[in-house]
Amino acid sequence: MAHEAAPTANTRLFRPGYAGHNQISARTLGFWLYMLSDALLFTALFASYAVLDTPMNAAGGPIASQIVNPIEGFWQTIAILGSVTAYSLSTVSMKNGKRGGTALGIIASIVLAVVFLAFGIHDLTALAAQGDGMDRSGYLSAYFVLILTHAIHMGIGILWMLVMLVQIPRYGFNEMVVARMLNLRMFWQFQATVWVCVYVYVYMIGA
Amino acid sequence: MQLQAPGPWSLLFGRLTLDQIPYTNPILQVTFAVAALIGLAVIGVVLYYKKVGYLWREWLTTVDHKKIGVMYIIVGLVMLFRGFADGLLIRTQQVLANGPHAAGFLGAQHGFLPPFHFDQVYSAHGTIMILFAATPILTGFQNIVVPLQIGARDMAFPYMNAVSLWLTTAAAALVMISLFVGDFSQAGWVGLIPLTELPFSPGTGVDYWMWAIQISSVGTTLNAINMIVTIVDMRAPGMTWFRMPVFSWTTLSTNIIGLTAFPVLGVALALLGADRYLGTHFFTAGMGGNLMLYTNLFWIWGHPEVYFLILPTFGVLSEVIPTFSEKPIFGYVTMVAATFAIAGISWLVWLHHFFTMGSGPDINGFFSVATMLVGIPTGVKVFNWMFTLYRGRITYTVPMLWAMFGLFLLLIGGLTGMMLALPAINYTVHDSVFVIAHFHCMVLMVVCAGFAGVTYWFPKLFGFKLDESWGKAFFWTFAIGTITVFTAMFALGFEGETRRLEWTFNTAWKPMLVIEEVGMVLYVISLALFAMMLVVSIKNRNRERLGADPWGTSRTLEWLTPTPIPFYNFAVTPQVNTRDELAWRRKHELANAKPDAYEEIHMPSNSGLPVILGACAGIFGFAMIWRIWWLAALGLLGIVAIVIFRSFDKNAGYHLQPNEVEAMERNLAIGSITSEQPDRSHHSIHAEAH
Amino acid sequence: MAGSHSDPLAHPEVQQGGALRYIAGFISTVLLMGAALIVTMRHDLAYQSFVELVGGLAFLALLSQAALFYGLDISRAQIWKSVSLILTVPLFIITVGLTVWMFQSLDQRTMVMPSSAAAATQPTLLQ
Repeated sequence: MAHEAAPTANTRLFRPGYAGHNQISARTLGFWLYMLSDALLFTALFASYAVLDTPMNAAGGPIASQIVNPIEGFWQTIAILGSVTAYSLSTVSMKNGKRGGTALGIIASIVLAVVFLAFGIHDLTALAAQGDGMDRSGYLSAYFVLILTHAIHMGIGILWMLVMLVQIPRYGFNEMVVARMLNLRMFWQFQATVWVCVYVYVYMIGA
Repeated sequence: MQLQAPGPWSLLFGRLTLDQIPYTNPILQVTFAVAALIGLAVIGVVLYYKKVGYLWREWLTTVDHKKIGVMYIIVGLVMLFRGFADGLLIRTQQVLANGPHAAGFLGAQHGFLPPFHFDQVYSAHGTIMILFAATPILTGFQNIVVPLQIGARDMAFPYMNAVSLWLTTAAAALVMISLFVGDFSQAGWVGLIPLTELPFSPGTGVDYWMWAIQISSVGTTLNAINMIVTIVDMRAPGMTWFRMPVFSWTTLSTNIIGLTAFPVLGVALALLGADRYLGTHFFTAGMGGNLMLYTNLFWIWGHPEVYFLILPTFGVLSEVIPTFSEKPIFGYVTMVAATFAIAGISWLVWLHHFFTMGSGPDINGFFSVATMLVGIPTGVKVFNWMFTLYRGRITYTVPMLWAMFGLFLLLIGGLTGMMLALPAINYTVHDSVFVIAHFHCMVLMVVCAGFAGVTYWFPKLFGFKLDESWGKAFFWTFAIGTITVFTAMFALGFEGETRRLEWTFNTAWKPMLVIEEVGMVLYVISLALFAMMLVVSIKNRNRERLGADPWGTSRTLEWLTPTPIPFYNFAVTPQVNTRDELAWRRKHELANAKPDAYEEIHMPSNSGLPVILGACAGIFGFAMIWRIWWLAALGLLGIVAIVIFRSFDKNAGYHLQPNEVEAMERNLAIGSITSEQPDRSHHSIHAEAH
Repeated sequence: MAGSHSDPLAHPEVQQGGALRYIAGFISTVLLMGAALIVTMRHDLAYQSFVELVGGLAFLALLSQAALFYGLDISRAQIWKSVSLILTVPLFIITVGLTVWMFQSLDQRTMVMPSSAAAATQPTLLQ
């Protein structure tokens, strides 16, 4: 076999000075894999939503078309996409080594995310207030949990951004901060991706 | 919203009251006494030999993948023992409680376990064996072996590796606590729905089961990420994909499954949790819930999980068989392809766990065919192992015996699995002990490969072999016990015994139940022999100190490191020239080649945070189980605080200087020091400043 | 394990970012979602073709995010992300698709729907 070649004078048995893997690349790949895992979590929630989205599972309570508002959802879509774009632009500032611009982008991103969350939470509390909370029917359970899971992810993202706002002025753009900024960008973008799926599936196909 | 479960509740202690501690139960009294004695003995030994500091510095705070792997295996073996004790209780109850006139003891109508207790025992047996015994043992091997096999100094994320371990340990601890505080689930390891819903299981048993699995599966997911990145990013120079040992390939595939399947389990349990804690209606019988949705989600994870367990054991076999046949593995490329084919198909077969749901012939047909497809790559593997043996120079060492018996069980389990893949047969034997016997052959194959791995890699880690003659006695008792129990169980399946029977009402089953019990006695004896093997081996450990390659015929990179393995693994990163690098070096008399010069090595620092984080997760789980909301909030807050605190830690590690490395390598060569890490906790000599 | 001492900002994943690309990603996604919104509000398509059209627009939106925001390609820096994503997408389809198929058939066989309840509402994926 070819790979069974005998050693020659040029055969190396050790590789002194081998640099090994790049820390930032390993961290972003690892985080990307976590996100794929998270995507499967949302997959399972979507599958549950699909199963529970029948009149039978509404158990006499409201069905999708009675509770979703695609136009309001569109404003939410613009808010969350604006937020991820603001964050992405802040990483462009990071590329140019500008701490101020980076921080500004993060703050804009947080503001837009809060706007997005305000819409969502307002919807859910209004539904719960009129007696159509998550304990009303199987369908509403699926609806609430899907939206809330996304909202919790958003909340964690905001917390992470606040930590970055402290770390950037404190440490500058060192290896760890840069890796975290890149991971957070993927995480934040991922929330927009999930939202597109939620918007299309729940707010449009359900309408 | 129904945040409160039935029964008393107080702000300070939640649902926890003194009468939740079953101190009147004689079986639990004995168990508690034994557990307390063992616990006190361990603490006593640690204190007597003044090893608290050693334990903390060298083990609890370690980020070394080998030590983490060893701890995984210890946790797994402890849980294996617990799960076995549960199995013994089940078998003994069934043989005692046979027929309408069976006597009852200890308050039971038949046998010695009332239904309330028996149901907990089988639920705990399944949950423990799958998630807290097999999974940690296999994860342990992957942790120890994979970085060495691919020529890396550690995992990609050593700190996260420790976090995974301590989350798993916290979850295992919760299962153990359920023995003495409250009850465990009575709804089977799969969580039979709607039995797990609050109205039907108002106690804390289901909560124990749910939170323990939830916490351990977070650990498993993190570990999967770690393993995949390690394999993708950290292979030594020259180790191309198709030079990678089969065990590393199976680790990669199994962790891809782990990464993608465990979130689905998380969702299934979280939705069940929402039903129990928030009053939602995902799986309730009324109000628009759908019972089968739970079953569906559970098995979307559950089937890939089966392959999550079996693939690494295929990897172990693929290391052990070539080593003791002194031949390269036959059909390496097909072996890799078969591994990934199995992983891929594992996502397409889950409905075969509930053919009887009634989704119609077209769907049952699809899943039946998909299930049978698994047989093809598995068959490829079995033939590859056989061709590896063919005309090899076979030595029947203990690991080889385990591997052979594992192959035998795989064959029996696989063929009965093919029978079960046919919906018509499946309807007939559904929920009978025939199914139990089938999957026990499979998981015992995992156990066999586990023992093969323990005996195979043990000398690499500790520098002495496990005693051969006690090991063989252990093997033969265990193997004969296995055959005795499960041959009888297959027969009982055909005689119509269904699973989870607290009272085996049919007296015609008696002979087979007695045979099963005889097999259990053999298991008990084998356990004693296992303990003897450990004791004798440790006692004689200095009789023969072994070098880098104790078996003399090993083929892969892990055997290139000195024994015991220094904490930095490789003083200088090896250059890989071929598949089976060590066999190639040995053939060309290069196995003992040393690098010309040593260089600076960068190592990560130890950290006490993972073990504290695990403790916080355990506290959070315990508080959620007993609905002690303030404590749960505190536990969660602790976790968040640790994660953020850690992100402010510069954790740059330290550098080992070339002269230090050279000294350690020289000492290792003459076997005069252990692999202990120098103490850097107080003075990080060369701490890197960023 | 060797800590890299190079400038972290020189890392390809940092250098890859570009303002124009992100803005293009924003605009394309908003436009595609806007188009889907218009289709939804007009209510003049049959259910089947409506789902297909909106689903197609969503697919394009996801694709534009993958290319423009995530910057996925087959370069050395991104190849493993692209590969792992391509391996995961089938799992998404399998999980949701087979589940829907399974329960659609199950509902037809076991959940006999009162005709009034079925007629009163518009279809969902399970019907």
